Amino acid sequence: MSGVAVALPGARWTVGRLSPRAALTMGAMLVLLAFVWASTQGAYAIAPAQLWQVLLQAVGAAPSAEQAPEYLVFINIRLPRLLMGVAAGAGLGLAGALMQGLFRNPLADPGLIGVSSGAALAAALTIVLGSYWLPDLPRTLGSWALVGMAFGGGLLVTALIYALAQADGGTRMGLMLLAGVAVNALALAGLGYLNFISTDEQLRNLQMWLLGSLGGARWSAVALVGSIVAVACGLGLALARSLNAIALGEAQAALLGVPVERTKRLAVLVTALAVGAVTAATGIIGFIGLVAPHWVRLVAGPDHRVVLPGSALLGAALVLAADGVARTIVQPAELPLGVLTAFIGVPLFLAMLRQFRSKV
Amino acid sequence: MWHDGLNDAVRRQLLRGMAALPLLSAAGARRAAAASPARIVSLGGALTEVVYLLGAQGQLVGTDTTSLFPEAAQRTAKVGYMRQLSAEGLLSLKPDAVVGTTEAGPPVVLDQVRSAGVRVELVQADHTWDEVQRKVATVGRVAGREREARALQASLDAQWVAVQKVVAATTRRPRALFILSHSGSPMVAGTGTAADALIRFAGATNAITQFAGYRPLTAEAMASAAPEVLLNSTQGIEALGGEAAFWQRPELALTPAFRRKALVAMEASHLLGFGPRLPAAVRELHTRMQAITA
Amino acid sequence: MSAAASPLSTTADLLVCDQLGVGVPGRPLLATVHTQFVPGRVTAILGPNGAGKSTLLSMLSGQRTPRSGRVRLAGKPLPGWSALALARQRAVLPQETAVAFDFTVQEVVEMGRFPHRQHPSRHEARIVREALASTGVAHLAGRSVNTLSGGERARAHLARALAQIWEPLPGGAARWLLLDEPTAALDLAHQHQTMALVRRWAVEQGVGVVAVLHDLNLALRYAHGVVLLGQGRCEAGPTAQTLTPAAIARVWGVACTEVRASDGVPQFLVAGAAAPGLPSKFE
Repeated sequence: MSGVAVALPGARWTVGRLSPRAALTMGAMLVLLAFVWASTQGAYAIAPAQLWQVLLQAVGAAPSAEQAPEYLVFINIRLPRLLMGVAAGAGLGLAGALMQGLFRNPLADPGLIGVSSGAALAAALTIVLGSYWLPDLPRTLGSWALVGMAFGGGLLVTALIYALAQADGGTRMGLMLLAGVAVNALALAGLGYLNFISTDEQLRNLQMWLLGSLGGARWSAVALVGSIVAVACGLGLALARSLNAIALGEAQAALLGVPVERTKRLAVLVTALAVGAVTAATGIIGFIGLVAPHWVRLVAGPDHRVVLPGSALLGAALVLAADGVARTIVQPAELPLGVLTAFIGVPLFLAMLRQFRSKV
Repeated sequence: MWHDGLNDAVRRQLLRGMAALPLLSAAGARRAAAASPARIVSLGGALTEVVYLLGAQGQLVGTDTTSLFPEAAQRTAKVGYMRQLSAEGLLSLKPDAVVGTTEAGPPVVLDQVRSAGVRVELVQADHTWDEVQRKVATVGRVAGREREARALQASLDAQWVAVQKVVAATTRRPRALFILSHSGSPMVAGTGTAADALIRFAGATNAITQFAGYRPLTAEAMASAAPEVLLNSTQGIEALGGEAAFWQRPELALTPAFRRKALVAMEASHLLGFGPRLPAAVRELHTRMQAITA
Repeated sequence: MSAAASPLSTTADLLVCDQLGVGVPGRPLLATVHTQFVPGRVTAILGPNGAGKSTLLSMLSGQRTPRSGRVRLAGKPLPGWSALALARQRAVLPQETAVAFDFTVQEVVEMGRFPHRQHPSRHEARIVREALASTGVAHLAGRSVNTLSGGERARAHLARALAQIWEPLPGGAARWLLLDEPTAALDLAHQHQTMALVRRWAVEQGVGVVAVLHDLNLALRYAHGVVLLGQGRCEAGPTAQTLTPAAIARVWGVACTEVRASDGVPQFLVAGAAAPGLPSKFE
């Protein structure tokens, strides 16, 4: 069945739910609204009339001989940051939904497979030890080195956890969970050691990186992260029906003809790519991957054909909204985004725990 | 390196605009100074102090969180922690120039600020007297007050020479140890830190030579380091609840400093700021250490 | 055994156990099964607990690798089949299925159509609807499957298995339905409705049905043939000839008497332990 329609004509739903089309339309509208709202927010005051002028200049519909500062601020600073927010939220939301489908548990989170802690460890290595090995790196190349190392670190740790989870010719999700706990703890210990041997300056840099922020998003980074997240979404959405069947259990799914091992491999790879790219560029932004799929399921049901794209859309809207607050609430300074999402996410997580306590 | 323009047309526009900037800034700096003084954002307590000393506080539109002296600086707009700046936040103050040390960051944000036409000048921080001279010169240049800067420089140099003479005249070199914080094991300053430089300037020796940077020290290591005088910031002593509470820490009981309760506490930005108050700080530190270990 | 094949299938279309060693690795061999299942008939797998009934069924479905011997479907050994091709041809109903998340009954039945997603039927929605109706869970279509009673859940999963093989295959190959204790959670009426349903599928549509059953009388009423596991042996054959009081006494150690139900179908009344030394009724 290639269509997404789930409701039978005339069927009476005892479970109150939005239809897939309504849910995804609502999600797209939320992203649009959040984007428009966030584009008007910022420490640098840009009146709506000025914003309109900037947009006209950008598409070449107005004379742009004079580069107004508003134009530079919006095009070079605010717009790439907004787009990075969309990419980050979409990547984290999609990855969260994939992990929850794979682990068959609504409390799963992309951090389980070690991407975030691997990226953090690699970033710490770069910040603390990089200055010993490569002290004269020009500053811009140095910041790209940080992004590259963090991305590689995330992938490497995920590959390690994936390898540890192989048993009896297949990937055991229970093993992956335990391996993830162990490797995450090891990465944390490594991080602690690097904290210890770092200088004051390196320590501050590392702590700031860990808190997560969309600040410093530039067009090159947006293009890179955006294309990786787009590829991840394309690959991930194709797994929707397989993940539905996996909800019956891996054995049953295999009997239905689902390529279970390949699905697991692809889901882990897509998660590592998306979350690795986002974390490398923005540091650690938590709870989006946990909360977005949960809300989509509450509103539209657990069918992954809705949950996967819906989580990407809702994740993007959430990050845009949170970042809009983060960069205006203490202006001209800025709150790290990871702190804000944690403040919002932890109470929500606890509320979810209360709801699921009978099933955990 | 990547060029972060939106598309070809915009990039060409930006390049055209930016190519004009050097011409503008060189010729226009003097004109601008005379016409309208540059709006300055200062990142770092020492640099902010220099701004006030040069009489340029009217040009100061924003400072970072470490700029707390003089008291008026606390009432300027705060752009946040110097290592985690916000590009839009900085630009919203419409500065013409940003001065800071090389610790300011993240680098991408500073690049974005530069590409918006703001002059960004960073001073290398290496814990020497040169650092102070560089800070004075840079602020003078950026604020268009080179004359005042040269005068201030001369006065500070004279103070510095005088202090160094006083320090050289004393023969006793007490063993000193700077304690940063007291959570669990005390964090102490090894070599390469601002505190280490201060200790040496003030004619003492750092009891710790085995490592660089700030590290936690066990009680036994503290005993074998055998400092004769302990240094701390007044904020640090306050955080512990006063001098009496400070001396109750068990790891201090084994040190020579404990017997005479030899503690010198000075305000943090005065002691370690490496700004115009450095000669005065070194003099005070020297005097108090000599007195307390006599 | 080689019983007369149903007129709807060819003899090549068999599910064959070729010297199949039934057992779990690391434990003693439970039985060696050498028999074939014929489409268009219901075959019951019977035996006491631990005799290897579910193990045998999992080997028939391809879920478990045999300790020795092979299983062939339509002449091809199971490992030679792709998972998708197998899933289009045979549906498996396990004993228990815990479903993650709050999928509705209808969504669960739709999962049964997964093997056909590359070449969907023109009546996908109707298949799901009719499968729900056939096991009597149509009124529960919108309910979350985890909120149902055990019996309702079992019928929902049976509807899923039926939906999986709802339509005849191109080329006329036989379809197979493998059921692991399909009546365990059902009440009396639904036990008979379910067995009657699968027997109808076998007889009318030529589907081969293999069901692990606990209830001897259900087997007597609905199964054309039985495979009897127990005491390390395997006996297979038509129900009436294989499921005799002597065989029952040997395998289960209970004595039973044959009676006739009101519609003439033979049933057994069990009298308790037949082995000497055991009490004939509880003190």
